[in-house]
Amino acid sequence: MSLGRRGFLQFCLGAGAGITFSPLPWKLMDDSAIWTQNWPWTPVPPGGEVSIEKTACTLCPGGCGITVRKVKDRAIKIEGMKGHPINDGGVCLLGMSALYKLYGGARIKGPLKRAGKRGEGKWEQIPWNAAIAEISKELNQKRQDGLSHTVASMTGTDRGTVSQLFKRLLAAYGSPNVFTAPSLQDSERLALKLMQGDYASAGYDLENARYVVSFGASIIDGWGSPVRAFRAHTRWAEKAAEGAKLVQVEACLSNTAAKADTWLTIKPGTEAALALGLAHVIIKEKSYNKAFIRDYCLGFEDWQDSGGTVHKGFKQSVLKEYSPDAVSRITGVPADRISVIAREFAQAKGALAVWGRGKGTRPMAVHDIMAIHALNALVANINKPGGVTVLPDVTTVPWPSLVQDDIAKSGTKQPRVDRAGTDAFPLSESLFDQLPKLIKGGTGEYPLSVLLVHGANPYYTEHDRTAVAEALDRIPFIVSFSSRMDETANHADLILPNHTSLERYEDVPTPISSSLPVMSLSRPVVSPQCDTRHVGDSLIAIAKSLDGSVAESFPWDDYESLLKATLGDKWSVLEKEGYWKDEGYTPADWSQAFRNASGKFEFLATTLLAGAKSAKDCLPQYSRAKLKGEEFMYPLILIPCESMRLADGPVANSPLMTKTVADTVLKNDDLCVEVNPKTAIAHGLTDERMALLSTPKGKAKVKIHLFDGIQPGVVAIPTGLGHTAYDDYLKGKGVNSNDLIGMIEDEASGLDIAWGSRASLKSI
Amino acid sequence: MDSALIPKGLKRCPFPQFALWIGAWSFIMLWAAIAAVIAWAYGLNTTNLNDYFGFGAWITADLAIIALGAGAFFTGFMRYVLGIDEFKNILNYAVIIGFICYSSALAILALDIGQPLRGWFIFWHANVHSMLTEVAFCISCYFTVLAIEYIPIILENRQLDKVPTLHAFSHNLHHIMAVFAATGAFLSFFHQGSLGGVAGVLFGRPFAFRVHASIWPTTFFLFIFSAIACGPCFTILVTRLTEAITRKKLVARNVILKLATVSGWLLVGYLSVKMLDTLYWAAVTLPKMGVNFFDMYPQAPFNLWILIAELGICGAIPAAILITKKTRENEFLLILAAILNCTGICINRYVMTVQALALPVMPFDKFYNYVPNWIEWITSLAPFAFMAILLSLSYRYLPIFPQEKELNP
Amino acid sequence: MKEEHKEGVQGHEGGAHGHGEKYKFGMVIDLDKCTGCGSCMVACMTENNVPYKKNETNKLDSITWMRVFKATNGKPYPDTDICYFPRPCMHCEGEHGHAPCVSVCPATATDYNYETGIVSQIYTRCFGCRYCMAACPYHARYFNWWDPVWPDDTKESLSPDVSPRMRGVVEKCSFCFHRFQGARDKAYAEGRREITENEYQTACTQACPAGAIVFGDLNNPEHKVHELKQSPHAFRLLERLGTNPKVYYHSTRSWVRRAGDNYLTNERSK
Repeated sequence: MSLGRRGFLQFCLGAGAGITFSPLPWKLMDDSAIWTQNWPWTPVPPGGEVSIEKTACTLCPGGCGITVRKVKDRAIKIEGMKGHPINDGGVCLLGMSALYKLYGGARIKGPLKRAGKRGEGKWEQIPWNAAIAEISKELNQKRQDGLSHTVASMTGTDRGTVSQLFKRLLAAYGSPNVFTAPSLQDSERLALKLMQGDYASAGYDLENARYVVSFGASIIDGWGSPVRAFRAHTRWAEKAAEGAKLVQVEACLSNTAAKADTWLTIKPGTEAALALGLAHVIIKEKSYNKAFIRDYCLGFEDWQDSGGTVHKGFKQSVLKEYSPDAVSRITGVPADRISVIAREFAQAKGALAVWGRGKGTRPMAVHDIMAIHALNALVANINKPGGVTVLPDVTTVPWPSLVQDDIAKSGTKQPRVDRAGTDAFPLSESLFDQLPKLIKGGTGEYPLSVLLVHGANPYYTEHDRTAVAEALDRIPFIVSFSSRMDETANHADLILPNHTSLERYEDVPTPISSSLPVMSLSRPVVSPQCDTRHVGDSLIAIAKSLDGSVAESFPWDDYESLLKATLGDKWSVLEKEGYWKDEGYTPADWSQAFRNASGKFEFLATTLLAGAKSAKDCLPQYSRAKLKGEEFMYPLILIPCESMRLADGPVANSPLMTKTVADTVLKNDDLCVEVNPKTAIAHGLTDERMALLSTPKGKAKVKIHLFDGIQPGVVAIPTGLGHTAYDDYLKGKGVNSNDLIGMIEDEASGLDIAWGSRASLKSI
Repeated sequence: MDSALIPKGLKRCPFPQFALWIGAWSFIMLWAAIAAVIAWAYGLNTTNLNDYFGFGAWITADLAIIALGAGAFFTGFMRYVLGIDEFKNILNYAVIIGFICYSSALAILALDIGQPLRGWFIFWHANVHSMLTEVAFCISCYFTVLAIEYIPIILENRQLDKVPTLHAFSHNLHHIMAVFAATGAFLSFFHQGSLGGVAGVLFGRPFAFRVHASIWPTTFFLFIFSAIACGPCFTILVTRLTEAITRKKLVARNVILKLATVSGWLLVGYLSVKMLDTLYWAAVTLPKMGVNFFDMYPQAPFNLWILIAELGICGAIPAAILITKKTRENEFLLILAAILNCTGICINRYVMTVQALALPVMPFDKFYNYVPNWIEWITSLAPFAFMAILLSLSYRYLPIFPQEKELNP
Repeated sequence: MKEEHKEGVQGHEGGAHGHGEKYKFGMVIDLDKCTGCGSCMVACMTENNVPYKKNETNKLDSITWMRVFKATNGKPYPDTDICYFPRPCMHCEGEHGHAPCVSVCPATATDYNYETGIVSQIYTRCFGCRYCMAACPYHARYFNWWDPVWPDDTKESLSPDVSPRMRGVVEKCSFCFHRFQGARDKAYAEGRREITENEYQTACTQACPAGAIVFGDLNNPEHKVHELKQSPHAFRLLERLGTNPKVYYHSTRSWVRRAGDNYLTNERSK
């Protein structure tokens, strides 16, 4: 026994010594290190031939030209297109996220039919022909029942061939209910229609402007065409020595306010009053452009109606009501600063007044825009270098005329369900935000039966989101064309997934706020990764499967041939360069610029006179927004805080974008709201602690982030978070600001013009 | 049951009692082993370390136990090089404590690196400019020396000593032990120093950076000094603790007191130099970097109290106790002073790693604090369990205290 | 050709020291133009295969080679001001290439390249001791606490030019060194010894929608950075530590320039 043990011990010792002095441990050491350098679970991206493809970004209305670097058939990098008139090589983080939309999570890999309850996330995969059959069965039935007008569509924009296809489908089919997602363009087109007679959104010659007063437009936080706005700002920074100046009017220190030469802090929502205050000083000091006012404007001086009554013109109305002292009381901006800014504005060359709060995506009160635009008229900076112009569109080849059978004709003649274009809102074209009120309240003329949604995510993006969702839930059949499982797709009954932006053709019309006509072409740079179809092709297929004359309006074989035909001779340029621009474009001369009946710039909106309660309502003016809720219950003002790093529209954040978001905005799944340290003391709030944020529309647990740059009494809530859809990289993070902010209706347009809400914050 | 292994003429507790004792400590070791496996298998995301605190509990523990383990080389240095003969009575124990400290430090280092399987790159791709390279080489060599010093102690085991070859080997080793002690001392001076250098060379970290004397920052010398000032105290503490647990006198009081006196005067010396260094750092080094001294102590736990605790409460007070004959001879005060002395050095190692990293250097950066999680705690404390086990085994089976018989008649 | 340019360089910036440096790549970031949008961060992460996790809100374990810091002037409303500091790796030259991180790396896994002035990182040699991270006052170095995971088909978008890093190693901005290699290879193939300014630009520079980042050879008077760095409003982060960084910042606002370094209470800033 003891011998055996000793033998064993000796053996072990011997073996140990033997192994130690053999090459084995060294070899093992080396091999294990080499193994760590080549762990099979750490990917090694395969190489291959590199190519660069030109295309255009369609993720926001910015219209940048981009290039995609490819290795064989893999798209690996998105870069800005050098020489593109909008972005000249620059690219934003959303644009670069297209790769994630292409390869990342939440992609819809083929047509889906709802299998469970709505929003439950249970789907049945069906083939494309079955999906098209499903929808044509539904649409044909409605036509037979004489209910074609109860079919509606909603698109993210009304520009470009795809949204035109939706419009055409509904017209050929027989429904007036074509909706676009509400945007600033809706209200600014109205304002420009009233003042200049052009139903068009505004273009700004930002690059050449030299004294910019931005009424809440966060020019470098994603406003307008973001990269172009950045580049313009850079230009101003370079020209600072020559006097280029940016005055930012905003309640909070946005990035734009921080970079501005002057930050005018103002009570939220009172920007129009300030604009009129500036106008007051300019008029009082007679520093406006007298020739322009005299020859090209209407309604500046007092005027007499056909009954002989004398009404105040813009001049007297402003002089009477908007003295710096009065405006100071409304806005909180000191009277002397109003005078200083007004003088600088009047004297500057290229003085430009810009509107559109935050990113400039939400509608504003039409009269607010008129008040701000009146400043541009006072200095006659319209259709001039460094001034405002109407957004120039690129002309395309018209489509063959629309064919409408009797059903289509009678269907389209029905009043729109949102009352846009009816006596209630004669000037508006689409009022999606009226829907909850009408559908839920039961006051709508008729219930909608089908909704086709493309490029929009109303289940997420609209104010008073809960009410919107409730209203949409009452529509029996929702069809989504989304390529990713967003909130709306999640609530759809049928999904016909579109290609992602890197897999499809699309025309990109002149980007919003551009002063140059530019068109870009988005092209498939990789072949479709999933069983998806171009939404245009889906629409053509649907049209062709419908009864009556619908198919006759769709003579094209597919979307690509439609696009080629539409772009005509520009196609070859677009194919080669990726963009087309009108080099020789100059905005119309003043004598040609104003297309209303008077042919003049109208301070007094004559179009409104007929329906107005008083002539005063036709002048630019400020009216205090009626925020819901009582001050004693909701002592604070909640405003949204928009950022480049958080996409808050129909296209959502990619993981890499979310990665850039500061921990003072999102910490784990908690959203942080910004409050001033003074507010925190007054309301017993502690930095980095949770609090309950309540508004008349909802409640949410949020984290407090103390920030000196925000006005005391104001709470800023970041937008773009609080998704309930997409993948784990986004879903469930933070709070959706739209749940907390209710709708405020603009009397003139019926648009939702909410810029904030009353709110309270209580420590929990 | 194991009586054949127990040194002749010495009394040890019954085996079941011993097994229970070892079992209890093994439980902690097992726990630490589980923590280590988790850290190796899932990566360092299982700890509370992060990009701002790349160094945390583990490096602090490493620096601290290596400083505490300095008793081994310094006692050897005093015994063999300076020829202070009394210390032979405690040298064995000091060597074993040192061996435990250094092996623990190496184990923790193996945990702390992100790619343990590539740890040997530090030798293969060595960067001679790096203090850490110097540390790695010196510690590995010195660990080998400690192991060699430990071998003859093991070979004195009753059964092993019966094997003629082993007996002869052990006998020969004894003769050359002085050489190893001297080598060990030399290596130790360097690695204690280079561990100090690790922090002192960080010219991007105003808190840690110290002015250089020739190629080394002052922390190089301060770490050596502080290690030899506290190491003996740690040896005293462990010895006294062993005596308390075994309820026996193991080392003569004069040996302990002599060690305490040495430790006390070294601490006085260290503190004087450290004060001068701190003053120079505060008055010259920091202002050059544009940093106010008080900015280095912005908020708890890194306010001025930590400095007062390190140099005052755990520095000046134990030093005073240890150098004063009357207080030193008071058993309670002696133990208190030893504890304070060791704590002071641990605080020093802690601030030189964690506080150095916690203080933001870029003016717009934020102050963050760091608290280790259970994986870091248990593995950092495991050396104590390891120490309990190895000391118990050594005490039970090896004749490590030459005075034991005479003190326990 | 470069030899003559070196004469003009200030001694402190360490021009001539016998290492025969050819280029000295660096950046000038105009903080008056930077909008803090974060596009540089995303451009960098896509270019360099930087992974992402489901939760990246703990900024202490979130890998961002380029990170945009936010500084405030500390004044109450309405005198508050903020400024963004995009922070790539500074590619410190220290004294003669002894960057804070390079000299401490025990395994020579990070090195100062005298040909380009770029501080490299060899992921397969790094064993993850994180000493370099402790040494870097800019927090420009990041540790791979996790194995990288690319969900769904996102592996498809990985670039073959930059190898994805395994768990347990340190990584950082390389000034898109692979782009330099590409440009140099192309130039050599065409029989040229020099690369032009446009041929080698970092991903962040290229992407920046505000054009706030300018990249080039600091030693070459024909490159824009050469002139920009000499502006009286140009400064470097934590210059006083002696890190000798190659990233310059530019701001006309004095508080921003002061925020770039540490100063004693009553000391005047640069």
